[in-house]
This record gives sequence, C-alpha cells and structure tokens, in this order.
Amino acid sequence: MALEGTTSPMQAIGVEVAGLTKRYGSVLALDHVSFDVKAGELFALLGPNGAGKTTLLHILCTILSPDEGTARIAGADVVRNPLRARRRLGVVFQEPSLDDRLTLYENLEFHGLVYGVPAALRRQRIDEMLAVVELSEWRDRLVRTLSVGMKRRLEIARALVHDSRVLFLDEPTVGLDAQSRARIWRYLHQLRLQRQLTLIVTTHYIEEVEQADRVAVIDGGKLLALDSPGSLKLAHGHEVLEVTPLDGAVENELLEKFAMNIVRTQDGVMTIRVDGPDFVENFLARYGSRIRSMSRKEPSLESVFLSLTGRTIRDQGSTARDRTLAFGKQGGEHTR
Amino acid sequence: MSVSTVEDQDESESAALLRVIVGGVYAIWLREVKRALRDRGQLFGGFSRPILWVIIMGVGLNPYFRGEVYGEVRFVVPYTYLQFIFPAVIALNILYTSVQAAVSVIWDREFGFLREVLVSPMPRPMILFAKVLGGATVAMFHGSMAILLSYFADVPISTGDILSGLGLMFLMAFGLTSLGVIIANRIRSFEGFGVFSNAVILPLYFTSSSVFPLDPALTAAQTRVVYPDWLVRVVELNPLTYAVDALRGNFIHFYQFDPRIGPLVLLAMAVGFFTIALIEFRRN
Repeated sequence: MALEGTTSPMQAIGVEVAGLTKRYGSVLALDHVSFDVKAGELFALLGPNGAGKTTLLHILCTILSPDEGTARIAGADVVRNPLRARRRLGVVFQEPSLDDRLTLYENLEFHGLVYGVPAALRRQRIDEMLAVVELSEWRDRLVRTLSVGMKRRLEIARALVHDSRVLFLDEPTVGLDAQSRARIWRYLHQLRLQRQLTLIVTTHYIEEVEQADRVAVIDGGKLLALDSPGSLKLAHGHEVLEVTPLDGAVENELLEKFAMNIVRTQDGVMTIRVDGPDFVENFLARYGSRIRSMSRKEPSLESVFLSLTGRTIRDQGSTARDRTLAFGKQGGEHTR
Repeated sequence: MSVSTVEDQDESESAALLRVIVGGVYAIWLREVKRALRDRGQLFGGFSRPILWVIIMGVGLNPYFRGEVYGEVRFVVPYTYLQFIFPAVIALNILYTSVQAAVSVIWDREFGFLREVLVSPMPRPMILFAKVLGGATVAMFHGSMAILLSYFADVPISTGDILSGLGLMFLMAFGLTSLGVIIANRIRSFEGFGVFSNAVILPLYFTSSSVFPLDPALTAAQTRVVYPDWLVRVVELNPLTYAVDALRGNFIHFYQFDPRIGPLVLLAMAVGFFTIALIEFRRN
C-alpha cells in the first residue's frame, strides 16, 4: 500500500507515529503503525470496533504505553515525556468524563487547575470556550442537568481550556441527533481555524469522514490505507448496485451467480459490486424483469471501507461493566 | 516550529510542573470536598450515625456497663459505657466516610472521570495523594460531627484534646481512605455500598474493641475467661483496635494498651496503605 509521501521538513508536524506496536497477550492490537499528521490537519481514523483505533488513541493520549515504536505529540514523545505531551493534547473521550455533581464552570476550572493554566488565563479561556460552545448561560448549572449533546459540547470546551495543539475526539457525535452533530462540527471547524488545532477524529458516520483532509483506514491493528477521501474513493471505491429481488428464487439465483460480488444482504436488499464496464447492462438484460428495484451507487467511503476490510462499520455489543454502569445511572448511592 | 521554542519550554518545565502539581492537588482535593458537601445522603448519615450510636445504643447500654465479677476476676473500666464508646463512634464515622470516598474511586473509574485526570499532566502519585487527601479531609470532618455529641456522652473535651484528636483522626482517615482505595481497585463489578458496609466496615469496627473492652489490666489468661480465645485474637490482630485506643486515650484518657502503640499504628497504617495503593495505582 503506497502511503502519501512524508511531509517536508519545513511543515510543522502535529502528530508523528512510527512503528507503533501493542500486544495484548498473543493478540496483536497494533501492528507497526506509522503515519504523520500535519499541524492544522483534520485527520480521521476509520475502522470497525476492535480494529485498534482505541488502542492507538490511548497510546497517543499517554494512558497506554506501546510495546514498540514511538509517537510524538507536537514534538513531545508520549513515552519518554508523557507529562509534556499531555500538556499539548486535548481529548474528548467517547464516554463522558465530566463530573456530574459539579457545575459547568467548576468542571472547566478543575481542568484548568490540573493542567496548570495560570489564573487569569484560566478565567479568560473558560469564558471564551463556554461562549464558543454556546453554554455561557449554563455555567453555574450542575452538569447532571445537561443533555447528552450539551455535555459533549462542554467536553470539547474543556479540552481547549489549556494550550492544547492536538485535539483527539473519539466518536464525538455518536448518539446525537443530526442537529447536534452539525452544531458540534461547526464548533470544531471554527476552533480549528481560531487555534490552528490539529484534529484527530474517529467516527462511525461516513459523511463526517468526507470532510477530513485525510483518512486512515485501520483494521486488525494494521494501517490499510491513508489518503484524502477523494483519492481513497478513486483507488478503492466501487460502484455498487442495490437490488431488491422479486422473490426468493431470484434471490437464490443471484446469491449463487454473484457469490463473489455480493457485499452484503440486508433487509432483502442485496448490495452487489459492479465489476467491469458492461456489468450493469448485462445484469439488467438478464434480471431486469425479475427484480423489484435497483439503484446504482457511486463509490463512497463506505464502499472503500467495505473493500478494504470486508466489513461494515457497525456497533459492538455491550461490555462487562454494564451492570455497574446501569446501577450508577439509576442513581446508585453516593455516586455521582 | 523553531528549535528555540522547545528549549524555552525546557527551561520553564519545572515551573510548569510545580504549577500543575499545586493547582492539581488543590483541584482534586476541592472536588472531593465539594462533592461530599453536596451529597445530602452522606451528610445525613454522618450526622445520624453518631446520634444513633451515642444517644440510643450508648444511653441504652449505659446502665449495664459496670464492674462485673467473673469468678476470681473483677472487671473494671473506670468509665461509663457512653464515655467508653464515644471515641469509637468518632472512629466509626471516619471509617464510613473514608470507605465512601474510596467508593467514589470506583465511580470515577467507571464513569470516565478518572481518565480526565489520567490524561492531564498531573504525575500519577500526586493524583492519588490528592484524592486520598480529599477523602481524608471529608472523613475527618464527619468525625468532627461526632465530637459535637461529647456533651451527651458526658465527655468533657478541652481545646488541646480537640487539636491532638484532629491530628489522630486525620492520620486514621488517611490510612483508611488508602485502604478503601486498595479494596476499590479489586472490585470489578460494583452494585452498592452495602457490600462494603457489611464486608469491611462493620467487621473491622466490631472487632476493634470499640463496643466492648478488652481489659489489658487482666492477664491474657484472665481475658480469655471473659471472652472466647478466637475473639481476643481477632481483636488483637485488628489494627483498628489500636487506632480506636489512641482516640480513646486522647478523648477520655483511658488506654487499654501502651499509649505509644496507637499513634504508631495509625502512622504505619497511613504510610503503609498509601504506599500499597500507590504501587497498585502506578501499575494500572
């Protein structure tokens, strides 16, 4: 896989990752992953659950140490100088990490103190960031009274109270409605320009990946592709047909005939990869009268993802911590 | 990015680290205190528990706590039962609150707040220190609520007693909060404080010679006339016994053991448990 050429030495580098490897027992969670992210770039990490995205993110955030390889955040080595690296990075985790019992202001104040932001700058930053995410009027409310979307916005504000130059966002818009998602992206684009931030984002929403400068596709701990969304689609994308067969007999015939081309079958709709210039014409000539509907889809990042990993992007089942979490969410005693 | 910027940052590195540590310890400590003051349930418990123990149980058992004769042995504690358990109730309040502070470690972990601190530039030992410090402060505060009942327990307390008592209480709270953190680290699925209460707090409390005396004036053989062997053994092995003894010595000037043992055990618990908690915290 030809990766995009290394950045020229003149260009500032936001994040450098070289040969990162992490094993959990015999499982290789990351397999010699290397890439650079330019300062100011919007960089997306795409991969199914268990692909190694989270491991990578955790190593970059210095809460996990790699078995091999190095990573630098704005020049600071995450293994040799984690404290310095942490001062330069901001993180928005997928699961909220706010204190529900403190007010918005107190959460941000806590963050500023823990990051050693001097008092005057701290107050100014907190006001600034609350204004950006449009939560200024709520500053003295307890966080537990906020909606999910507001909490996410507060977390973004919090990650920027200190001088972060690289902002990691793990699924920043998951579980939010379309309006809140758009809002979060509006803030992110605004902040990116204002602060010359490097943004590294993981997301399940393909349309959000489209706006990234570059996309890294990861699966099985390996970096499968790294390029701009356009180039990825050119190189790996396929046109597909979404076909609804008339009846079961036709479906079986299609399954047999296009075994190699069928990407998936879901809710009676078969997704068939277009193979060669005459494919559609031949398909229609043969099955045109025996299908209920057919639509032709341009190459999308989703198809890139499919052809690179052989999988769709999907959510995973629940974890072992669910019972504890459920208990706490019901308002478990002396908790939140 | 020129090289000089990086060097400038190196120069101020230690200054920045100091600011992070001072600000961070303060922030984590303040968070613990604020959360505790906003938790009405915990505050209520801190207030009602000593009332129940002193005013109901203490007053109720007071008439039965007299010198008794067991065969040849005369059992003498020159204090009323109320006076005898009063210092232990302070210890109980500290015990409960310390363990509650440790339970918040579980919630911080499960609800992600711990990560917010772990990705911050705070050095790990300082995170734990601040957390334990905050928990210990709250526990000491709850212990002080019990002191308010000294009038009902008929325990006259001087300012000096309070000051030295606060010192002992802080050591005790620090050690017990650390112990709570050690236990919390081993809990993967957690569904309530009741587990802690029944498995840790009450056994430790009841076997610390808090509600009945082990008269050290008696020989081991004589003590065993009064109590079964195994119980005496457990009480003597429980470090909390000596912690309670230190508080009792401080507030009602009655020691069951050598007065030097209590403070030493408290110090050893604080240092020992914190060290273990720290080693585990760094490993994870």
